[in-house]
Amino acid sequence: MLAYIARRVAIAVMILFGSTFITYNLEAYAGDPLLGLAESTAPNKEKLIAQLTAQLQLDVPPPARYFLWLKGVLGGFIGHFDLGVTRQSRSVLDEIASAVPTTVRLLTTSTVLAIVLGITLGVISAIRQYSRLDYTMTFTVFLLFSLPIFWVAVLLKQFLAISFNDYLQDPKINYLAMLVIAAIVGVVLAGFVSGSRKRVLITWASGFAVTSGILIYIDQTRWALNPSLGIFVIGVCGVGLAYGLTYVFAGMHNRRALYAGLTSAALAVIMYYPFRALVPASAGFPQLLAVCLVMLAVAYFVGFFFTKIDKGPVIRVSILVAFLTSMLTVVDRLMQTWHSYMTDPAVDGRPVQTVGPMNTLLQTTDFWMITLDSLVHVALPTIALTLVGFSGYVRYARGSLLEVLNMDYIRTARAKGLAEREVILRHALRNAMIPLTTLVAFDIAGILGGAIITESVFGWHGMGSLFNVAIQTQDLKLLMGTFAITSFLAVMATLAADIIYSALDPRIRIGKK
Amino acid sequence: MASKKDKNVAKESTTVGENAIANRETEGLSQGQIIRRRFMQHKPAVAGLIFMIFFTLFMYSASGIHLGTEKNPINWQGWWPYTIRDITAASGAGDPSWAHPMGLDPLHLDYFALVSRGAEISLMVMVIIGGLGGLLGTIMGAVSGFFGGWIDAIMMRFTDFIITIPAILIGAVIGFRVGNLGVFALAIFLGLFSWTGLARLVRGEFLSLREREFVDAARVAGASNRRIIFKHILPNAIGVIIVSVTLLLAGSILTETGLSYLGFGVQAPDVSLGTLINQYQDAFTVAPWLFWWPGVIIILIALSINFVGDGLRDAFDPRQRRRIKRKDFQLEAAKSRPGK
Repeated sequence: MLAYIARRVAIAVMILFGSTFITYNLEAYAGDPLLGLAESTAPNKEKLIAQLTAQLQLDVPPPARYFLWLKGVLGGFIGHFDLGVTRQSRSVLDEIASAVPTTVRLLTTSTVLAIVLGITLGVISAIRQYSRLDYTMTFTVFLLFSLPIFWVAVLLKQFLAISFNDYLQDPKINYLAMLVIAAIVGVVLAGFVSGSRKRVLITWASGFAVTSGILIYIDQTRWALNPSLGIFVIGVCGVGLAYGLTYVFAGMHNRRALYAGLTSAALAVIMYYPFRALVPASAGFPQLLAVCLVMLAVAYFVGFFFTKIDKGPVIRVSILVAFLTSMLTVVDRLMQTWHSYMTDPAVDGRPVQTVGPMNTLLQTTDFWMITLDSLVHVALPTIALTLVGFSGYVRYARGSLLEVLNMDYIRTARAKGLAEREVILRHALRNAMIPLTTLVAFDIAGILGGAIITESVFGWHGMGSLFNVAIQTQDLKLLMGTFAITSFLAVMATLAADIIYSALDPRIRIGKK
Repeated sequence: MASKKDKNVAKESTTVGENAIANRETEGLSQGQIIRRRFMQHKPAVAGLIFMIFFTLFMYSASGIHLGTEKNPINWQGWWPYTIRDITAASGAGDPSWAHPMGLDPLHLDYFALVSRGAEISLMVMVIIGGLGGLLGTIMGAVSGFFGGWIDAIMMRFTDFIITIPAILIGAVIGFRVGNLGVFALAIFLGLFSWTGLARLVRGEFLSLREREFVDAARVAGASNRRIIFKHILPNAIGVIIVSVTLLLAGSILTETGLSYLGFGVQAPDVSLGTLINQYQDAFTVAPWLFWWPGVIIILIALSINFVGDGLRDAFDPRQRRRIKRKDFQLEAAKSRPGK
């Protein structure tokens, strides 16, 4: 195993040398940094050209110049790591260091959402193979596969930002739109139930009724201007989550799971008022994280002590209920900041922004205001990236689970009388998820690579935008700095995926013929 | 692969009832006929195929074919009366009308002429990338998987290396270095770097197929390596190849339009669907049609190709069977009932 890893790392290093070399030379031939000066009419043109030549070492041919760059990078081994300076004489390392947090903020949520949503929907689609739901999902996935992200991004800007901001100026919902939205929600809900036509119709009707009720309430109370959930709604949602998650993960016969879930929900609701005191406006992200972690730990012990045998599903239900209900509390807290955020002069009633990661005019130290501001900015690019990213997961999760469900050991599991829930959750899903490791590893490694197109449309200055700018301005050092980091991560992700894969699947032995 | 087949055999023997129905559909048909028939049952795929054929003919005949260099151009004018350079005399905001079904752009150029030209170029780039990528991927994967050993090791590391080269850089080099023949050069160079995924798939397929008995039989009969690769193994792997080439096609139209959107793909004076979107995205509020048309067309092209790919996958996959409905069982029961 160690020998295998050593060999793979050695190969990876060679690939990295090769690809940085080629990239360096490609970029060197992709433009002429002297071109702008050659056309200039400045009197000291000759001097400027000589200066730039010296600064960028243009007198050295690109293949040789690559080794000058490499010398700086390899200097890292003796403590002089040097990625050089950009054409504006700023340190490349600093540029990257300031771009990385932006990119991580942009891509983390969308990557996690894409993975979670994609796998969940894929699994549902596979369980309901050949149902209406499955066909609709397949069509949706193909549609999303075919979407050019730059086009979606512009549409989102138009409809979710500009139109939504217009709506907030005068929050009145058109009754026709209300009916259409309620009907669509009904159709989506009805798609998830199976069974007789009557059952489907009842689901549709109740979905329609509840949604229109909520929309009328939102419209009449001008909820969008001053939204909140309140402890009562959170409590109802918590109980609903406890029942729903128990049904999915443990089955209604498992009363212990249900009681553990209900206890977690109750704890989360009890925390509603203390939460405000624990994470005040002067708090920071670490405090919020700490409170959430304590909550999850408590939920774990709730699950742990509620049952003696088969703790897994009970703990899962209890943790998930606690997590989701606490998230609702956080959302509620953010909603209560909404009004003061909206009326802030820097925002001026148009909260959803289409450019950049934050509102630079906003002067506040209120933790919740800052969080809300960054959420409002990250929302649109996250939606765009999730839409485009999650379709692959749906497809792979569905295909992989269907493949596993056809296997003999699943037939055995069913034959010995296990409930379908047990067959899928305990026997099929675990094996079906193994092939997804590769995808997940690549996507997580890709987080730092940035998203060139999305960053460009939404005006974020992350790694993707650095790369784009570097190519456009002929900035070789900047380009190589970003490229070296992203390609290093990509190569490492391949290696990590192979190792994790073999750890998860004992049938695969790496390093052995 | 072999073990999967075995499992299927085991499975088939346990579900005789279902198989009797499924087998009846394929009785007495050749492999090609079965595949064609399965493909025809996949309605979205057939719709996608028909759409692609008519759409391509429509777009190419509308704006004609413009090839060659600046000095000796090959121009065949299509049936659409306007070209991408004709400034029309119409007045107003340029809303879509009968004379200009897709409206006019701010310079009063006919937008249908621009869009059809863009679609034409995007389709051409897509086909070149897909074709070249498919060809190279098949060859690389076939050689790598068939010979194995150090050849395989070297070729797969080479593949890993090619994967790391970003397409945007290739676009930048072509945009700067190559003048007039930009679109062709761009398509060919992108094609030269797009074969990696396919090569891995084909390699995997060859690795398992070369262990099969029919390959041993061919070798014993004295067939050369070349003959075994092309006559024996390749036909068995063709399903995987065709399906991934269709997916590669759908992916490459998104790559090309994405690059063009960023300014690294098709360069002016040529137009592509991506450059059109880039050019008119700010006009959304005043002239939304300028933004909608190219995007919708990209989606239609990619969507129909994806559906064709899905249909082909179902058609080629021997494990995939049409779902047997309760109705079929009833029919079967009715048929087998004596005296009826």
